[in-house]
Amino acid sequence: MSVEVEVDENDLAEMVEQVWESYLDPEGVSPLMQTYDENQPSEVHSSVSITGSWNGHVVYASSRAAAQRAAAAFLAMELDEVSEEDISDTLGELANIVGGNVKAMLPPGAQLSLPQVVLAPEASARFPNTERISGVYGLWEGEPVSISMWQSSTDTKEEGA
Amino acid sequence: MTPMRAMVIDDSRAMRMILKRIVTKLNFEAVEAGDGKEALDLLADMTEVPEVALIDWNMPNMNGLEFVTKVRADPRLREMTLVMVTTESEQSQIVRALAAGAHEYVIKPFTEGAMIEKLALLGLVPTGANS
Repeated sequence: MSVEVEVDENDLAEMVEQVWESYLDPEGVSPLMQTYDENQPSEVHSSVSITGSWNGHVVYASSRAAAQRAAAAFLAMELDEVSEEDISDTLGELANIVGGNVKAMLPPGAQLSLPQVVLAPEASARFPNTERISGVYGLWEGEPVSISMWQSSTDTKEEGA
Repeated sequence: MTPMRAMVIDDSRAMRMILKRIVTKLNFEAVEAGDGKEALDLLADMTEVPEVALIDWNMPNMNGLEFVTKVRADPRLREMTLVMVTTESEQSQIVRALAAGAHEYVIKPFTEGAMIEKLALLGLVPTGANS
């Protein structure tokens, strides 16, 4: 099925801003500072898959320190109280929230998977036959964080056909 | 006075913690469930039904929409206020949930203030509880 992707960097950036305002930086003192560097490193990542009217993945990736800070903010904990499970749960929910909002901008008929969390770099992700089509890349209190969209190459080929 | 009770139903422990923190701040006693089925099982064992349930949509075993439908079909649970709290933000999904019997709809991400306002609109907390 041929679809036109209607979600661009500005849309993603707006979603990211809402997530920061709601959970990670409600006081508005430490926003994600965009670097536009799509090759910035990551140590952990989470993702949700979208299938149906559009096929692909939404990936949240960051350094471990940023993930720990996100969990502390999300769960209202001190940094040194954050466990691996807290990090994993928070990363999963962040991917779910961004993915759900991306899905809402796609043509009707898209389905969202439950989130997957991998406490390893994004580069280790196994998304065969996909192409990165959009992303927000930045530093949060000096630590790398990114949110990116990966489209199935099947969809990409059909679009170009 | 017996505190009001809120049931928080979400497969994400992180989101349950956020919602639990908000309702506890509003003096609710919080009960947690990881999916719709677990929530129904807990409700079956309760002598007093919680005043409100905050319900995610996408959950394993039983999703939020199925839970709402089942609650609405059960006369014992009729008085419970149902609030969907979900990333499902398409108009058609919102209409489905409200048609199934949800009273309100909160889209993730939400701020604490926005959630409290919704609960105030439903008469579950005093207006101005957010201030």
